[in-house]
Amino acid sequence: MVQNLTVNGDRRSSAADPITPLVDVLREDFHLTGAKPVCREGFCGACMVLLDGAPILSCLVPAALAEDCEILTVEGLATDGGLTPIQSALEACDAVQCGMCFPGMVVTLTHLLTAKPGATRDDIRAALTGNICRCTGYERIVEAALIAVAAK
Amino acid sequence: MPTHPSFRADRTEGTGAMNTPSAPSIYVARSLPAALDALNDCGSAGAPFAGGTWIMRSPIRHEAHQPQYVAIGKIAELTTIRIDADVVEIGAAVTHVALASALADLPEFNVLATAAGRSANPAIRAMATVGGNLSTSGFAAADCVPALLCLDAEVEISSRGDQERVGLERFLRIRPTLEPGRLLTRIIVPRRDRKTAHARLPLRKSGDYPAAIVSLAVSFDAAAGVQAARIAVGSVEPVARRWERLEAALVGRPLDPAQAAEVAAELANEFTGRDSVELPAWYRVSVLPSLVHRAAVAALGA
Repeated sequence: MVQNLTVNGDRRSSAADPITPLVDVLREDFHLTGAKPVCREGFCGACMVLLDGAPILSCLVPAALAEDCEILTVEGLATDGGLTPIQSALEACDAVQCGMCFPGMVVTLTHLLTAKPGATRDDIRAALTGNICRCTGYERIVEAALIAVAAK
Repeated sequence: MPTHPSFRADRTEGTGAMNTPSAPSIYVARSLPAALDALNDCGSAGAPFAGGTWIMRSPIRHEAHQPQYVAIGKIAELTTIRIDADVVEIGAAVTHVALASALADLPEFNVLATAAGRSANPAIRAMATVGGNLSTSGFAAADCVPALLCLDAEVEISSRGDQERVGLERFLRIRPTLEPGRLLTRIIVPRRDRKTAHARLPLRKSGDYPAAIVSLAVSFDAAAGVQAARIAVGSVEPVARRWERLEAALVGRPLDPAQAAEVAAELANEFTGRDSVELPAWYRVSVLPSLVHRAAVAALGA
């Protein structure tokens, strides 16, 4: 049975089993390696993607349940070579460290800035509780998010 | 394979590296009758799939997937919350986020709103369902279980051609042996004038399973004495349960957090903590008096 998925606006097909975690289909079949399968338990947030606009843990979603949904990965955020406001702010703040957790952070913050354009420091910290950074670099990430909020 | 025609077929061959000879199938049910039919057809080979936050981690627990899953998250009647004057009815596939949001303006349900709104992390709360929380026998740290125990909740169990309603305490006893084809479909919570609170102790401020949980619901008489108390403890033992001796000790006098914690310390040895990789058994029991104190303070402030 083929899984038909819409990823970053493109219709894609995968021959993976229906129960296969979406993150594995994205990485192994579509070669979109931004989402990382780190903990596979839903605790680290490194596999975060947007499913119909909502941040979800792609390690816990079977591919079959992502059919009929719009999947947006970190690779699909920037368009026409231009970074999004949160991507630009993160770059300006030199907030990127090892890069393992970072795609998930970007996806979470992209959603937050859309859902809550006036997000406060507490809102940002709360939104990031499911995104674990092993480099302990949260503060610059929070500062970057606040700059992106202020720039709106 | 089940006789149900809509199941995604198992694939026994393919080019993808992730394919296995016995890969599970997933049927996405669009109505409750369709889900119950599919579960009935699957028999012991099938299981409901709600949020998936437990099932998708089966490989990490070295547990095999069921051969067939019936996804129930897109069934409208299972994702609805009905708030009436005397009762709140919660569909089994309501997510923690939706539950916390729906109860935000009902102070008597602080315990449940906190349980649903503080568990795990935001993305898990957007996926995990209340029915999944109650139905997963292996998950001792489910926040909604003690919260609903202290609210005297009942659950509705449905199967093809049958439906019954049982108290949550009884459901927790029978759930490991629930017959195939039966599905928890609704949670029914009576509305009462009471103060409630949910105290949990995760290892970090958020994102972790709690070491212990104390859920509290108290009603007061005209003299501000405790008329009735319900206290449930979660995550300490393999299955959450009420703390009836502590409940009885609180009745008939004002709710005093310090005194409640003292009594809890005297009675805590009736719990046998569960050992786990992250925590020793004794620790879970030892924090109970503090959590009782926190819950009492929060209830009085509610």
